[in-house]
Amino acid sequence: MSTAHEPDRVEIRLRGHLDERWSSWFDGLTVELEADGVTLLRGRVADQSALHGLLARLRDLGIPLISVAVVPVPSQQSRTRGTQP
Amino acid sequence: MVDALLETKLLRPRPRRGTVPRRRLASLLARADEAPVTLVSAPAGFGKTTLVESWLRPGDRPVAWVSLDEGDRRLTSFMSYVLTALDRTVPGSAGAALTLWRSGQAPAETMLAGVLNELSVHDGDLTLVLDDYHLADGPEVAEVLAFVVDHLPPQLHLVLSTRSDPALPLPRLRARGELVEIRAADLRFDGDEVAAYLNDLHDLDLPAAAVAALETRTEGWVTALQLAVLSLRDRADPQRFIDRFTGDARFVVDYLVEEVLHRQPDDVRRFLLDTSVLERLTASLCDALSDQPGRGLSMLEQLERDNLFVVPLDEHRSWFRYHHLFADVLRAHLRRERPGDIPELHRRASRWFAQEGAVEAAVRHALAAGDDATAAELAEEAIPDLRRRRREDVILRWVDDLPAGVVRDRPVLAIGLVGGLMASNDFAGVEARLTDVEAMLARPASELVVVDPGELASVPARVEMYRAALALVSGDPAATISHAHRAIAAAPAGDHLSLAAASGLAGLASWATGDIVTAHESYVVCAAGLERADHIADVLGCSLTIADLELALGRLGDADRTLRRALDLARRRGSDGEVLRGTADMLVALSRVAWHRDDLPAAAELLRRADALGESAGLPQNPYRWRVAMARLRAAERDWPAALELINDAERVYVGDFSPPVHPVHATRARMLAASGDLALARSWVREHGVAAGDDLSYLREYEHVTLARILLAGQRATGETGSLHEAIVLLDRLLDGAEAGGRGGTVIEIEVLRALAHHSAGADQPALAALERAVDLAEPDGWLRFFLEPGPGMGELLGDLARRRPDSELVVRLLERRADGILPREVTREARGTLPDPLSERELDVLRLLGSDLGGPAIARELFVSLNTVRTHTRHIYTKLGVNNRRAAISRAHQLGLLTRTAR
Repeated sequence: MSTAHEPDRVEIRLRGHLDERWSSWFDGLTVELEADGVTLLRGRVADQSALHGLLARLRDLGIPLISVAVVPVPSQQSRTRGTQP
Repeated sequence: MVDALLETKLLRPRPRRGTVPRRRLASLLARADEAPVTLVSAPAGFGKTTLVESWLRPGDRPVAWVSLDEGDRRLTSFMSYVLTALDRTVPGSAGAALTLWRSGQAPAETMLAGVLNELSVHDGDLTLVLDDYHLADGPEVAEVLAFVVDHLPPQLHLVLSTRSDPALPLPRLRARGELVEIRAADLRFDGDEVAAYLNDLHDLDLPAAAVAALETRTEGWVTALQLAVLSLRDRADPQRFIDRFTGDARFVVDYLVEEVLHRQPDDVRRFLLDTSVLERLTASLCDALSDQPGRGLSMLEQLERDNLFVVPLDEHRSWFRYHHLFADVLRAHLRRERPGDIPELHRRASRWFAQEGAVEAAVRHALAAGDDATAAELAEEAIPDLRRRRREDVILRWVDDLPAGVVRDRPVLAIGLVGGLMASNDFAGVEARLTDVEAMLARPASELVVVDPGELASVPARVEMYRAALALVSGDPAATISHAHRAIAAAPAGDHLSLAAASGLAGLASWATGDIVTAHESYVVCAAGLERADHIADVLGCSLTIADLELALGRLGDADRTLRRALDLARRRGSDGEVLRGTADMLVALSRVAWHRDDLPAAAELLRRADALGESAGLPQNPYRWRVAMARLRAAERDWPAALELINDAERVYVGDFSPPVHPVHATRARMLAASGDLALARSWVREHGVAAGDDLSYLREYEHVTLARILLAGQRATGETGSLHEAIVLLDRLLDGAEAGGRGGTVIEIEVLRALAHHSAGADQPALAALERAVDLAEPDGWLRFFLEPGPGMGELLGDLARRRPDSELVVRLLERRADGILPREVTREARGTLPDPLSERELDVLRLLGSDLGGPAIARELFVSLNTVRTHTRHIYTKLGVNNRRAAISRAHQLGLLTRTAR
């Protein structure tokens, strides 16, 4: 995860369908329902501590977590990353 | 009312009505009964608290229960609750540690070591429950808890209930078999338990297939089952509900809460959503939030009756909270359905708390409402009172919570926040904040926001006062004094606190440089300011320093008056028969005055009174000061074993403060060794502490160099070697110059007495007599006697010579009388010692002596070749016979009664 100010995109999969009303509870992440009762939360989080806050809120809801993926947003810095040792 | 709410954190939860017995967990819980650490780790709503409560309730083992919350991530708060809970469960075990912790003068681990040491000899087991530990888990708290786990005495059982595994060395505990874990898989209800819950407890009378379907769908999650019961109750066609529920893919709690809410009448539903913004509920607060006032009480009663996830928090059922999981879902509903109402709900809550004087909650809700300005105003208004009550921890929280934008125009608030940072030793960034405040003050007054214009007038003085404190911390006394003087000049009339604080800082800096004349003046101003500002406890601390300086200055009578005046103040201001903390310290300091006047019975009586007041009457330093004073008394009686035992004990319980350590305990010990004739040990002190006659002399080490002179003289007496005599004379002459230049009259008397003896030993009678005559002249007005009675032979001859020269000197007459009594009869103060109606047995005396060491219970048991249980029983008997409830008090009572003297080797 980059430490720059660029927010990261996260994709969090949960077991059980969540109502769309939870979107604002989870910092505006979109709530998408997938097959087999899986919920996908998707969107941007400001930084690592925002992500941990989000995970704590999921924990407090008791909803089972399936996966958490962080997808760095391409930025100029990250495009030049390949040239670094 | 709201302070009492914090008490609810230390109450054991009430037993829940209607629980299913968890027989399946019986063997696990039986192991947990014996285990040092039990971890109950599972997601929200798995019945962790209920399980722990119902597991521990029938047992006869005392339970210290702490329900943690977010605020307890701060170590200050966490430690206060844990120590309070332990001390309530085992009275005397943690009270002193709590005082020390609140005074901010010792690291958490030092204090906990003392508490665990006490519990290690306690007769009886106890359980410490940390409920909702995940709320407090953070680097600071985890480190402290890891220390506790590593040093857990066999009597103490630790139970953690948490939603996330704690940051503790769990694998190590598992490997040692010291951990019992109860996890989600254990807590989950199995088929039989689900059936018992639905059909036996709630009489739903569901067929086996329906029970199985619900078990599968809820996975035995008790909160989901509870919600399912609410949805099923009074339903004409339960099977239809079950079919729909089990056929739905939605998150189980989401589905069920919606079901439950859907079934509530509109007013109940509205009430639930409105009040979901609150962390804790009480009727009048709910009324303030709702559009249907007057319904709060009946509504809460109804919710409790209907089992709608309200948890009572106190015995009177006046405060409740929602079950956390339920509250989260309610809040999500509120956000979705009526987002526009949320700020107004928080605003109303903020107003209610502000009226109740619960400023912390008021500020929190104002911030949640987005009313930063209101939050800032509430905080600014509350800070002076919080400072007076030493609640800087609250102020500190606002440093993080209040947005910078709202502080930018508020100089009074900004300087108040600096006060919170300084009190918690958080100095980084303070100077930048002070510069910001000065920049604010330079702007036109119309741009600034100030609640109380009177407070604004004090801001410039406080800026300089905090700069002085920063300079002191960084070890720059000159800068401290100059900033303090600027603060004093800038303080407006009537701002006693700024004046007192700045004077105190200047005094401390002067003291550290050895200018005790100026230090004394500053402290007197400081004490007067503190008294006018009504900070009485601080006046006591300040008076101790003033008296100390007065003794050094040779003003024995003034020291006596200062302490008696402070004692009188403490007596008048102590409320409802409660003894003000610091009172015992005054008595101990007065005993030193009596000792200087050689009124040993009075000194003994003062120490007895100080001890009888109990630990709560003393400052954190009192235990060691009391022991030093008692050691001096025993030394005056020539009871060297008792004196040395006491002084060793004093070193063990030593706690420093902000004052320079001008009378180190180790040097007092060295004096006693020299006086008792143990020159070898006295000389090893000289080597260990690197004290040499050729050192550069300064006030800060004056006591140590005078000690060296005493050791040199004692060496000469013992061996007759003249080399050390000459060294002593040169050193004493130099010390005299320094003491005279510094105006330290008390030290001058002591040095002149020693010089008289040194010259006498060297056969120079004229200078000897001159020195003694000078000492007598200085000592006569205030009646200093003790300095003349301590040193060895030669003094009688010199006093006889002096008596011929000064037949009118009352002091010389009195001194000769004392010497005629054979220097001092042993144990003149025995009458103040008292006796025990039920004396300790030999074995109990053995245990008692070891209680005065750093050994824990198991180590004491090994030392005496007995079982830990035997040690525990002896300890209980010792405590009962001595009328105390902890080790430290037992040892001081034993010294008081002379028990350790008689058994000393």
